[in-house]
Amino acid sequence: MQTAEEDLRALMLSGLEGDAGAHAALLSALVPLLRSFFRRRVRDAGDNVEDFVQETLIAVHTRRATFERDRPFTPWLYAIARHRLVDHYRRHRINVSLYEIELDVLADNPEAAIRAHIDVERLLGTLTVKQARAIRDTRIDGKSVAEAAAEAGIGESDVKISVHRGLKALAARITGRKS
Amino acid sequence: MNTEQLIESLSRDVPRVSPHAVARRIGYGLYGGGIVAAALVVSMLGVRPDLAAALDDFSFWTKVIYTLSVGIVAVVAVGRLARPTPTSLRALWLLAVPVLVLAGICIGELADKPPQEWLALWLGRSWRACPWILLALAMPMLLGLFWAFKQFAPGKMRAAGAAAGLASGAWAAAIYCLHCPESSALFILTWYTLGMVLSMTVGALLGPRLMRW
Repeated sequence: MQTAEEDLRALMLSGLEGDAGAHAALLSALVPLLRSFFRRRVRDAGDNVEDFVQETLIAVHTRRATFERDRPFTPWLYAIARHRLVDHYRRHRINVSLYEIELDVLADNPEAAIRAHIDVERLLGTLTVKQARAIRDTRIDGKSVAEAAAEAGIGESDVKISVHRGLKALAARITGRKS
Repeated sequence: MNTEQLIESLSRDVPRVSPHAVARRIGYGLYGGGIVAAALVVSMLGVRPDLAAALDDFSFWTKVIYTLSVGIVAVVAVGRLARPTPTSLRALWLLAVPVLVLAGICIGELADKPPQEWLALWLGRSWRACPWILLALAMPMLLGLFWAFKQFAPGKMRAAGAAAGLASGAWAAAIYCLHCPESSALFILTWYTLGMVLSMTVGALLGPRLMRW
């Protein structure tokens, strides 16, 4: 996550200097992040995740002047994504608890959210590659077990077992560290 | 359009963005509106005839410094609220400084004069019109700021609108000093501040509509 932040920020800074290639690379790199962000939050089947992704990419492009070069990139990105979601709900007068959205993005303290991601990544790094990937796919990126299994090229039960064993190992690590 | 095509078309036009792009745009909006407000003061209200003499006057500079210091703090807040993730707004506490200093000057003024003159100090000759004139003069700058926000991404639109309204009101008050004949600090503290607050309220009401993105 930390390297992702640094890579994305570097691309953003080059894009702001007028480097079209870096800008295109940045937007492409954002697509999977945004897909997983919206897939986790849009429950209504009528809402198209891809529309949200595209609207966010357009906002990132047209409003890139509002990025402050000395601050981290990811909070800026997710604040825009979150705004697209809130604006959508407002437009369609759908009442959702803003709390849910706030909670996800920790909008008022995005740096803390990033730090939390970094901690999670460090912990996942202590597991086997398969377990870490299964947990990341199903518990963090919000994919279904079937999707995760298909992408990793392993069986669904294998994914479930990896998640289970991985979480158990993490639990042991964390409680062990405390004692 | 699929996402790859969208990215390709967005990446066709990638001009360099100056690090000061946001500040510059806010400046344009205020400057454009400020020219209109100054033209209105000169043509409709008239510059006060004793302006040259007023330049040596403590009360004239009290007005100018009070309104400009509020204006500068408010513009800084506008710049921060133009972003999806505003940095700290704690600096807004600085607004208390000009208000408290002016209140201190008021106390000195009241202590100086007998109580039967206090009402005249407070109401001056133009208390009825002053806040509304300030509100009217603020509108061109508020519109200028709303224009600037067309390219911004305010995370908190109501707060951004309020800050834009306060900034416009404060700069309008500074421009109004060209005309305003009043000289009591108590007058300024009451009616100038009321005019700025009116403008701030209009900004807060319009912000969520006009700053939508």
